[in-house]
Amino acid sequence: MTTENTVQESNTIQEHTSSVESSIGAEIAPKGEQYTTESTLYAEPIAHFGSFTVTNSLFTSTIVVFIIIIISIVVKLSIKKIPRGIQNLFEIVIEGAENLCDQVTGDRKVTDKAFPIVFAIFMFVILNNWIGILPLGGFGLVEMGEHGNLFIPIIRSGTADINGTLPLAIMSVIGANIFGILSIGIWKTINKYLNFNVLGSIFTKIRKDPMILMTAPIMFAVGVLELVGEFAKVASLSFRLFGNVFAGEVLLASMGAILMYILPTPFLLLEVMVGVIQAFIFAILTLVYYTIASSDHDEDHDKAEDHAKEVELSGVH
Amino acid sequence: MDSFIETFHIDWKIIIAQSVNFIVVLFILYFLLVKPLKKMMKDRTETISGGLNDAKVNAELLLKTKKEYENVLANARIEANTIFQEGKKEALETKRTMIENANKEVEQMIASGKKSLESEKAKMIEEAKAEIVSLVVKATEKLLESHKDETFDKQTVEKIKKM
Repeated sequence: MTTENTVQESNTIQEHTSSVESSIGAEIAPKGEQYTTESTLYAEPIAHFGSFTVTNSLFTSTIVVFIIIIISIVVKLSIKKIPRGIQNLFEIVIEGAENLCDQVTGDRKVTDKAFPIVFAIFMFVILNNWIGILPLGGFGLVEMGEHGNLFIPIIRSGTADINGTLPLAIMSVIGANIFGILSIGIWKTINKYLNFNVLGSIFTKIRKDPMILMTAPIMFAVGVLELVGEFAKVASLSFRLFGNVFAGEVLLASMGAILMYILPTPFLLLEVMVGVIQAFIFAILTLVYYTIASSDHDEDHDKAEDHAKEVELSGVH
Repeated sequence: MDSFIETFHIDWKIIIAQSVNFIVVLFILYFLLVKPLKKMMKDRTETISGGLNDAKVNAELLLKTKKEYENVLANARIEANTIFQEGKKEALETKRTMIENANKEVEQMIASGKKSLESEKAKMIEEAKAEIVSLVVKATEKLLESHKDETFDKQTVEKIKKM
């Protein structure tokens, strides 16, 4: 599952790596020696603190956290009634994002509640995606591996590791269900997955509608499928993001191996766009999950039935 | 499952660390960026909408005041015109009265002036006469003193008597 590219060592790489390596304590390969670069599916470890391993993805997402902290503090300190500079930029972004969220939720109250987490996801993912594709290929560690000297880049997008996207997806789905419980209540949320109401209705409606013996178990099974769907959501969210970002990094590395500097440039610009799109997709899907979780299926069903009756009555008249 | 974990090197410690990273980002963004900015934007919107409402109210007030002003102005014009007409009328009346009075006074003054003039004239004539007489006497005395002879005296006395 790994792709290997043997890259002839250049002076640039050695110069860049030496400063980083010396601080972390990895070995520096002598000049002129060959390095092996690997594009692994998993993030490479760059430091160890006891049993805790710091990977390059974790390191990058920690940098992202610090960047966001700095930006937030700068914005907080520069907030004025008449906006200027960075405040203006963020006001435009927030206002535009909220209007966009309104189009998805159709309700400003839901938008107001879901927006902070959706915006945080977007910022976290987009910065991770972008920092991961920064042309800092020369910064990294050199370790002795099975195939000789192995070059490990110190920067790898936090989203190019399943350990980075999985917690985001889990928090997104769990957050949506918590939001659902807060919006429509715990009983209705549980009934979405384990539809006890339908099972109970077998006993109450069987005289009026004997077909319920057939429909109720199907409805219950649909609910169970919804429960399975929640796990599918986690898998789809995390693997989509991971796959796209990781593929982008592999693509850039491959292009760089073919023709350094020139060939990766258009793909770099493409990856900038991919970074935005993937962050947007992740954030919007989270918002959609929040919106679905906050809507009451029974209420919608009742409304649909009422509407159908109205239509029937109007047809009769 | 094991092969999945092994392939992707899934490590719960890193998952927790990444979760902590995201939670920190969420809180930082919410408390330092989103919340204050939204509050500021809301305040600004309220200020602007308040300002617009005030402007609307002021415009209505201005229109109302303008109407009132125009009404007051029209009434004032009518009133002023009335006052002016009345004043004009009164002034004409006063003028007429004053002219009449002045004419009367002038006539009286002319009459009394004539009267006093005539009395003055008579008085002056009387005084002039008395003056002339005394002058003639004096002149005569001086003349007589300079020609002291009997013939002259007699002739002069005769002449005077003829006068």
